[in-house]
Amino acid sequence: MSKVALALRINGEHHEVLTEAHRTLLEVLRLDLGLSGTKENCLEAECGVCTVLLDGRAVNACILLAAQCQGREIVTIEGLAGPGGLHPLQRAFIEHGAVQCGYCIPGMILAAKAYLDQNPEPTEAEVREALAGNLCRCTGYQKIVDAVLGAAAELRAGRTSP
Amino acid sequence: MLHGKVLRSTEPHARLVRVDASRALGRPGVRAVVTAADVPDVRYGGAVKDETVFARDRVRYVGQPVAAVAATTPEAAAAALAAIEVVYEPLPPVLDVTAALAPGAPLVHEAWAGYTAVPILHREGNICNRARIVAGDVERGFAEADRVFEHRFTTRMVHQGYTEPRAAVAQWDSSGQVTVWSNTQLPFEVQNTLAEILQIPPSKIRVVVPGIGGGFGGKLRIGVEHVAALLARRAGRPVKVVTTTEEELTAAYPRQATTVELRTGVTRDGRITAKQGRIYFDTGAFAGSGPGVASVATLVLAGPYRIPNLLIEGYAVYTHKTNCGSFRAPSGPQANFAVESQMDLIADALGLDPLEFRLRNIVRDGDEGPTGQVLSAVSLEECLRRAADAIGWGQRRPHRWRGKGLACGWWTTTGGSSGVYVKINPDGTVALNTGAAEIGTAALTGAAQILAEELGVDLADVTLVAADTFATPFDFGAQGSRTAFAVGNACRAAAAELKARLFALAAAQLGVDPGELVLRDKHVAGRGARIAIAELARMSQQSGGGLIAHGTFIAPPTPFDAKRVEAHVYPAFHSPSFHAHAVDLSVDPETGEVTIHRYVVAQDVGFAVNPVAVEGQIEGGVAQGLGQALSEEIVYEGGRVLNATLTDYKMPTALDVPRIHSILVQRPSAVGPYGAKGVGEPPNIEPPAAVANAVAAAAGVRITSLPITAEKIRLALAGTEAAR
Repeated sequence: MSKVALALRINGEHHEVLTEAHRTLLEVLRLDLGLSGTKENCLEAECGVCTVLLDGRAVNACILLAAQCQGREIVTIEGLAGPGGLHPLQRAFIEHGAVQCGYCIPGMILAAKAYLDQNPEPTEAEVREALAGNLCRCTGYQKIVDAVLGAAAELRAGRTSP
Repeated sequence: MLHGKVLRSTEPHARLVRVDASRALGRPGVRAVVTAADVPDVRYGGAVKDETVFARDRVRYVGQPVAAVAATTPEAAAAALAAIEVVYEPLPPVLDVTAALAPGAPLVHEAWAGYTAVPILHREGNICNRARIVAGDVERGFAEADRVFEHRFTTRMVHQGYTEPRAAVAQWDSSGQVTVWSNTQLPFEVQNTLAEILQIPPSKIRVVVPGIGGGFGGKLRIGVEHVAALLARRAGRPVKVVTTTEEELTAAYPRQATTVELRTGVTRDGRITAKQGRIYFDTGAFAGSGPGVASVATLVLAGPYRIPNLLIEGYAVYTHKTNCGSFRAPSGPQANFAVESQMDLIADALGLDPLEFRLRNIVRDGDEGPTGQVLSAVSLEECLRRAADAIGWGQRRPHRWRGKGLACGWWTTTGGSSGVYVKINPDGTVALNTGAAEIGTAALTGAAQILAEELGVDLADVTLVAADTFATPFDFGAQGSRTAFAVGNACRAAAAELKARLFALAAAQLGVDPGELVLRDKHVAGRGARIAIAELARMSQQSGGGLIAHGTFIAPPTPFDAKRVEAHVYPAFHSPSFHAHAVDLSVDPETGEVTIHRYVVAQDVGFAVNPVAVEGQIEGGVAQGLGQALSEEIVYEGGRVLNATLTDYKMPTALDVPRIHSILVQRPSAVGPYGAKGVGEPPNIEPPAAVANAVAAAAGVRITSLPITAEKIRLALAGTEAAR
């Protein structure tokens, strides 16, 4: 199989990757770059555990060719927090007890981030709709929804990560 | 590292005429191919040793492993699978329990009688166990009844739905030792199963669990660890195997489909005099968890009720489907759906309020359970009343198409032994070393909290090493609502020993009698003097090898009447928990669609070690239970799964799950740490029954099969309209 050179911008850093042309963004993140915070499950864009941000929008990395992502801004869970500590969403998930096994959480947090950037003052029903593409089997979603609403309030109040 | 993939049977039942893997081995990137011819000819399994790694001579379900390949890339491995030639000669399959039990039915295992099995099992042909409870005289009980009710219920196969697939990496070293990194809930069981399969001593097998993305019982039994180990041995290189969603939905360890028949006698004033029940588990091509699940089911089917005359049977039956296993409260939802649906049906027929009918029959302190165990810390009345109050039971049918339903139940806190090593470090922090795996329930957080409490340190001072069969002491594993309960008690035992040693050291330093010392603020203190436990740990490390204790726990046996049980591998519920669920929902008369407005759980947790985590268990268990109640079903047709994708296997999303109100009832158990009872499994039990009862209240139709889809409700409504 012939390889191609890809130039990708991930978490604010430039990466040159020599890889198979058919690889998905998920495969390049996990296998080529060792960024295993982005999780892998259904590989058909149904479960949402592979959610990353592409130019600020939440996308399923499992069905996106890495080659399509050149020249665009990719953010994974590893790049969400600033150097000073956790992002308010990450803090809220911990404070609300919203994490059980944790496997869906990176995707869940990035889906929430993309949504709150568009709608900083959502209702509970809106948050539930925004997260409906991300399956969680542990929590029953309640504490996740509460965490997102809590983080939204904190972000509105202007308190950001330290 | 190589990537391993499994070639699986495409036939539900066939003679395996030929498996030719020679063309696969020559393909680019392929480093190993294994088939039945390459592995030791051994049968393994839990209660019945009926399974082989790869099919030999015959395949018994679509999805059964036939061969495996390891290659340098996942793509090369997939291409190599396609190059393996398999010739099947199809045979007639047995597709459900009725067919399997029919006279002259083909035997799923013709050699069943020769298999090694737990001796007490009752096995015969396609039945791999029939467990039974017999109490009193059921015929006399029916004669004493004013009315006798007979009903039949069915449930379908459902998957645990963990978001992380099963995965393993195996690596051998030059001494013949293999290390397997796996997301199993039971590292010690996997170690022993690997020893059977690989025919090497367990001491040569190291199983490490780095973390688990949800299990719910689906990661108890060996998954892909043996495939990875066999391929890695053949290739001489480490091999990683990860299941696909299609493999999960066709060849994992789902919850068994069941058929339940119930016959219950009651007096006119609503007292149950007798119950006869049968539950048939479609356990698939291998026994798996079936014989045990069929046993546990009899206790759920008897229910948390005073019934003097019982004849309850649980059957585990072979069919040509995937091997079923354990799923959070195995047998609980299926049996409870039948019992609690029938309780409402009987209450309606007698003109009694369903809550009142239950209150007249529930067990209370000092009553006997179905097998004669004497019950204590029984909180069922409190659970029922608080759930009913919180849902607004006084207005059970506030208006047409809206209704409320109740269901209650009981469950066990599984025993099994736990060992921990606890070390006090020279900086005063505490290292907890346990063989249990953390599967996301925060059970080990609970155990660490208990340890911190007992040693007077902060939770953040406790560090954790878990689930490594070479480094950690034995633990029965993350199953049966037992981890915080059993590991927590082992931590208390270790802390007691460490405390005595700290006091002995401090007594010498402070010149104070050990009896006058206390642990406070990370110091040992007494008579106005104090010394830091960090200092004592440093002293011990220099003079006596450090402060390390081995704490152990095994739940004491629960006495029961052995004359009441037959072929029963789980005859009593240890430190039982009690619970009641209530739901308020609407049914759309046009579409049959159910909308849940509120959901209430009153669960006796004994003592909530970590209330937020306990609520999390309840909320998650209910969500999963609502999936089984309303939408989830692995659909088989002709022995093939029709919906092996997450598009078609419909698990609840954030839009489908209502807000869940948890009421933590705390009636302490005698055995659990600070009175705790098992928490994790129970919330998964009652949702199907509670929903069925609420749908009946809202729409006037009784759905007796799971899942309760909009289609079934609409068809039932059409039936009642036609009859009108």
